[in-house]
Amino acid sequence: MALNAKPRTMFSDTANRFSRNLPAMMGVVVAVAMYAVAIFAPLLVTADYSAIDLDNVRSGPILQHYFGTDELGRDVYSRVIWATRSAAFVSIFVPALSLILGVFFGMLAGYFGGWVDTIIMRVGDILFAFPGLLFVFFIAATIKPAVLDWVKTIGLREFAKQGYVDYIVIFSALALVGWPGLARLVRGQFLTLRNREFVLAARAIGTSNWKIAIRHILPNALTPVIVAVSGGIGGAIAAETSLSFLGVGLQPPNPSWGQMISDYYVYWRSADLWPLLLIPSIILVAVILAFTFIGDGLHEALNPYLE
Amino acid sequence: MLSYIVRRMLWLPVLLAIMIFITFWLGFYGPGSPEQVLLGQRYSPETAALVRRQWGLDKPFWVQYGRYVLNYVSLNFGESLTKYPGQPVATLLARRLPITLQLNFAAVMLGVPVGLLFGAIAAYYHGSWFDRGIIFVSVFLRAIPTLVAGPILLFIFAKQLKLLPVGGWDGIFSPSAILPVAILSTGIIAGFARQTRANVLDVLNSDYVRTARAKGLSEVRVLLGHVLQNALIPLITIFGFMLGGMVEGTLITETIFGIPGMGLLAFEAINARDYPIVIAITVLAAVVFALSNLWADLFYGVIDPRIRNT
Amino acid sequence: MARLLEVKGLRTQFFTQDGVVNAVNGISYTLDEGETLGIVGESGCGKSVGVMSLIRLIPSPPGKIVGGEVIFNGQDLLKISDSEIRSIRGNKVGMIFQDPMTSLNPVLTIGRQITEALQLHLGMNNAQARARAVELLELVGIPSAADRLDDYPHQFSGGMRQRVMIAIGLSCNPQLLIADEPTTALDVTIQAQIVDLVRKLRDELGMAVIWITHDLGVVAGMADRMLVMYAGMIVEEAGVKELYANPRHPYTIGLLGSLPRLDQLTGEKLDSIEGLPPDLIALPKGCPFYARCQYRIERCKTDTPALENVGVGHRAACWVDVTRDPVTTENPWHTA
Repeated sequence: MALNAKPRTMFSDTANRFSRNLPAMMGVVVAVAMYAVAIFAPLLVTADYSAIDLDNVRSGPILQHYFGTDELGRDVYSRVIWATRSAAFVSIFVPALSLILGVFFGMLAGYFGGWVDTIIMRVGDILFAFPGLLFVFFIAATIKPAVLDWVKTIGLREFAKQGYVDYIVIFSALALVGWPGLARLVRGQFLTLRNREFVLAARAIGTSNWKIAIRHILPNALTPVIVAVSGGIGGAIAAETSLSFLGVGLQPPNPSWGQMISDYYVYWRSADLWPLLLIPSIILVAVILAFTFIGDGLHEALNPYLE
Repeated sequence: MLSYIVRRMLWLPVLLAIMIFITFWLGFYGPGSPEQVLLGQRYSPETAALVRRQWGLDKPFWVQYGRYVLNYVSLNFGESLTKYPGQPVATLLARRLPITLQLNFAAVMLGVPVGLLFGAIAAYYHGSWFDRGIIFVSVFLRAIPTLVAGPILLFIFAKQLKLLPVGGWDGIFSPSAILPVAILSTGIIAGFARQTRANVLDVLNSDYVRTARAKGLSEVRVLLGHVLQNALIPLITIFGFMLGGMVEGTLITETIFGIPGMGLLAFEAINARDYPIVIAITVLAAVVFALSNLWADLFYGVIDPRIRNT
Repeated sequence: MARLLEVKGLRTQFFTQDGVVNAVNGISYTLDEGETLGIVGESGCGKSVGVMSLIRLIPSPPGKIVGGEVIFNGQDLLKISDSEIRSIRGNKVGMIFQDPMTSLNPVLTIGRQITEALQLHLGMNNAQARARAVELLELVGIPSAADRLDDYPHQFSGGMRQRVMIAIGLSCNPQLLIADEPTTALDVTIQAQIVDLVRKLRDELGMAVIWITHDLGVVAGMADRMLVMYAGMIVEEAGVKELYANPRHPYTIGLLGSLPRLDQLTGEKLDSIEGLPPDLIALPKGCPFYARCQYRIERCKTDTPALENVGVGHRAACWVDVTRDPVTTENPWHTA
């Protein structure tokens, strides 16, 4: 061993390579900015997201309204800021839930194989075959009202009114169509890892199934999962946009970028209003790009000898 | 190989049965019972009861489900409730489907070869400026949702430059098809270029390509004789998925450009809460998805000797 | 015998994200027609890269041959054009690789994979090439060769696939066959069969062989001469009997110490060499083996020793004379 070589761990190597990846670091900056804006939104906004300024309708950028107002006289700047919260929620809740479901079922299928594997993978196939947007629409149309009623009956009327139920149902539906992909990935990793020597060694000394799966295999299987999840965040945010367009995304008045773009997309016809469409569009694309770059950066940092 | 085909074929009807069951179940317990939707302003308990009897909605779940399945199997998807009242859903679908198919066909014919070519060149010259450019552009394009790209393209080409129509549909060989096909094929190009690049790179680094080079083959012969076939095999799956997602993929494009295909029909039906149409499109989309994947699996068997001989 | 190959100061580097990897650091050796040269060393010591560089089979980027000459039949292979080097690969120089499971194209029949080179280099037509392919498969001992021509690689076992690889390597009657650890991935019994096969074919066809291995035992009965490589350099070169009887480099002594021997007393432990080879990105100054050497002296830390004659046809790169100088450090691997 070279005497002067400083000790290198896998983590520090990965972090090193990641920090040298310019797009990925820019992605981190954008993502951090997004979460900061989401947390401090109440301090940053100049108006409520639904407040209407009838004196300044379609105002264009002026002192009271940095980004101008829309046809209803709502402050676009404040709406964009409030909408950051929705995006931040999507970016955490959907991947986290998909991750939990995907890892759990993927692990079961890959470790136990046999009929457990068959059932889980077939259920995944079915969810996979459903057209995702239409499926989420169905859930939103059929299950959401029932959940809302239920929440109201247990006395959380305020909670329901604020649209949190909306968030939870829509995000859960997105996660429901999102987990089979991850489960497949985890299963594949488990299938290749479960016959490796270190697992056989653990089994030979009588380690329990669960302990082997969680302590020995899972950490080794996580690399591609981390990459898929971080890359999938952008996809979840984009999916919310499409759902908003179908009118089943986050319900007004709580704004989301997708909702704003859906509201404003007709503005492409009017020269004075179309910047209103452009602002949430640019922010949305920047955030999706940021998470894509982070995902790609992780992928390259974790697989240094790929290219 | 035969048992493999049979197994794949048997899975299809099972999948469909489950699909139909789930959509029916969701519809059965869904909000705003059909009679409410149907009667609207004229709703009263008496008229409602009449409609329920007429439509068989008073029958138990399993009876209704049985009838529903029989109808679906005989391609009777019911009638539109609100958007096109009284029109058979099957007729609506038959009118709209060809437009969506044309749109997708054009996008695939343009997108797949271009994507393959870009991806293969990028992989072969990996690390070069061309490669970096392809990666960057494809990542960038994939990050732009149709909902963002559509209006911006309309603003530039229809509003400012006045080169292209603002929407509508005059057939696949008209200027009205240019922007939607461009958007759909851009997605395909970006996706295919990225995937092809990764596959070709994988194969280029494989031991058997080194063997081929050690034989003294020219680079062209290495690429055509050894790399291409191996790199294309995984793309079949991607292609299957892509075709499978066709109905949904055109939903937003068709809506923004006002193209009267399946996607726009789905959008209209969703907004009008016209469940028979939405359910029929969902099931149809699932069938298309399952069929494309079946096709992809079978094609796999043809092209890959490792599967063919098992 | 006539000189077939002369390698002078060959250097190959890999330009990676983490830095420049000095894979091969100025190696020189010669090979006569019909001679068999064994190259041994641990994994990652530059054996494979060294021989792949001979016919410019280094993946580039990131790899690059940065210096030296490879004179083959009087021609510098590093200077000729791409199409000229291709007319030598697979034709005058055949190769066999380590892993027969991945070295054959899974979607082409083995017949196709053999005839490819025949049609390219020898201008055979389809029928001629197929007839020759059957001959070759029979030559390497594949039963009912004619029937197996249209089978795919996955229908063959590992040992059989390596025989196919050998058939491909030999297809154009090369003057030089390069075997890059061809037995490493195989079962022990199959290993012996493959070694015997190559030895038999070498004697029949009269080609020169370069055989790379990390296992001194595998080449002992086959090579005429041996090179020992460490950290991309040749540290010792000798005739095979001389090397085993009279190793002069501490690393070679270490390698031999880790080899089981039939004439050894039972109950004796095998020695192993403690530590790891140096980081090829940041090669230490001085002798690359310094950190692991039991004979090391002060000078080894700062000056890199060159290959010097230590006997007839015997060269070693070491400042100390292991036959006279005492062990200077207590290394755990020296327990015998």
